[in-house]
Amino acid sequence: MNRILMYLAMSLVAIGNNLRADDNVETLRPVTAAYTVELGSSHLTDTYLSPIKYDGWHAAFNYERRQAMRFDPEHWTMRLEARVGVDCGDNIARNATMWNLDVSFRWGMMRRWKVADGLTLAAGGSTGINGGCLYNARNGNNPVSAKAAWTVNLTGYAAYNMRLWRLPVTLCYQPTLPVTGAFFSPDYGELYYEIYLGNHSGLAHCAWWGNYFRLDNQLTADIHFGATSLRVGYRCDILSTKANEITTNVITHSAVIGVSGEWMSYNPSKGLSDKARIISALF
Amino acid sequence: MRISVIKYILVIAVALMSTSCHKVEEFADDPRGNFEALWTILDEHYCFFEEKGVDWDAVHDRYARRVSDEMTREELFNVCSEMLAELRDGHTNLSSPFNTSYYRQWWSDYPQNYNERLIQQYYFNFNYLSTGGCDYGLLNENVGYIRYGSFSYTPGDGNIDNILYYLRGAQALIFDVRDNGGGNMTNVEKWVSRFIGQPILAGYISHKTGPGHNDFSEPFPYNYNPAQLGRIRWGKPVIVLTNRSTFSAANNFVSVMKLIPGVTIVGATTGGGSGMPFNSELPNGWSIRFSACSVLDADGHTTENGVEPTEGCAVDMNPQAALNGHDTILDFAINLVQSGTLDR
Repeated sequence: MNRILMYLAMSLVAIGNNLRADDNVETLRPVTAAYTVELGSSHLTDTYLSPIKYDGWHAAFNYERRQAMRFDPEHWTMRLEARVGVDCGDNIARNATMWNLDVSFRWGMMRRWKVADGLTLAAGGSTGINGGCLYNARNGNNPVSAKAAWTVNLTGYAAYNMRLWRLPVTLCYQPTLPVTGAFFSPDYGELYYEIYLGNHSGLAHCAWWGNYFRLDNQLTADIHFGATSLRVGYRCDILSTKANEITTNVITHSAVIGVSGEWMSYNPSKGLSDKARIISALF
Repeated sequence: MRISVIKYILVIAVALMSTSCHKVEEFADDPRGNFEALWTILDEHYCFFEEKGVDWDAVHDRYARRVSDEMTREELFNVCSEMLAELRDGHTNLSSPFNTSYYRQWWSDYPQNYNERLIQQYYFNFNYLSTGGCDYGLLNENVGYIRYGSFSYTPGDGNIDNILYYLRGAQALIFDVRDNGGGNMTNVEKWVSRFIGQPILAGYISHKTGPGHNDFSEPFPYNYNPAQLGRIRWGKPVIVLTNRSTFSAANNFVSVMKLIPGVTIVGATTGGGSGMPFNSELPNGWSIRFSACSVLDADGHTTENGVEPTEGCAVDMNPQAALNGHDTILDFAINLVQSGTLDR
């Protein structure tokens, strides 16, 4: 316990020192932003709607923003992500369709280490919310399985700079793994009508890996063409929950394509000091 | 230090692998697989095994031996339909591309007690009004009459205002839900709210909390409130006409209306159907609907077997009188109004 307190105190001192250092040397923290779309396959199961697995397509739009943190930009960086995803699958007999809508928002902060030339590793935490629903049109009283969650996640990335022929390329692998939080689930055989009538007991669940498992893996390559980059990659997002004996599995594999770029705010009237340091969001 | 870090990583990795995707039981898409899937869905979700005294395991044994991999889809459908009929439940249907199974005895074993044409012709001479899923008009005896054929029709608040305003001069209202097979529970609340002046306990809902036959939640009480201010509410006597085909949401409507002072239920015992249905499906794509969530009346009793008319008001339609243009259930209600014994 004493060790932890000592570590926290030292961290605060270090952060304070860095803040003072910032007063002397101008630090510019460019923002790396990316807009991407995903297209791929999805596998949907929600036993509130059906015990049958539905297979089909997945599409999503993502916005990602990264920036070195103000307090210790050399070592700490943040990532903000917003995502809207849609899945559509058919049952084995191909006579019913299930839709899935998922909207998520995450913000996280990571400590990074430059472990080798061009290679940076980062690890940290994030928190996020997501909401949406699965919809099966042919169900009468149970056509929808609503989803909502707030999670605290482990996250990180491994980024590596390389060259592909003459083009500079940044490879980045970033996993996100929720470890706890809270999520919504109706009871086993509970109709939403009963919830509408006012029975709200047992709807919120504390999340842990045993009942809420999500692993979001993204591997991307930013191919730099001057200020703008082409982002291509692969994403595998696995969500598996089990609460009140209701199991939900949403697994997507998708190709990622989009644009990313680095930009920063700069006031020409103030000029830029010779000592100014530019600290990238990723490295 | 390194060893302990590796240990932690290994523990996390093992935890992740052991908790990744939760398994869902899968059944083969063949006659046996589909039969077992159907039986299991009902076994884990159906809500009336206890009330109906159905030994579902014994049912499995009886019907599983009739399933073989060589049977046609029609043969499999027939075996599955017969198995479902053991539940004696009008809310339980198996739907395939070529047929939908029904358990019909809940109404076919009883007199129909309703003839729509008879009322349209002999009581209104085909001069009645229609709006919001309702046919309505003023009977010769200055009694208002509303025929609401299905709770699937959602009348607007304005529709109901217009109907009740049109009938405002009547000495009483007859609300006919014979042959009303149910629909949306929200429409039950919508109509009941026009007949009450203060909130009432409408009943209880109890849902399944797990796959066990006795896994049920504590019954949750639910209330209905009067229609909001500015809406027309009916304060005079009401007679609700019922028959055996008054089912599901209509059955629930009758059980709630029966609680209201000044409301009389006339006709035959309703058809029940108090289990709110869920849908699921089999590997071959057939859809199954079944009672999953029990709605109880305000006394906490099931109405799965129907709601009885008010004491002394059980009436059947006389087929001979019907041939002469008389609906004896409707006549009974009109006489009840004219007798002056109804008060509110």
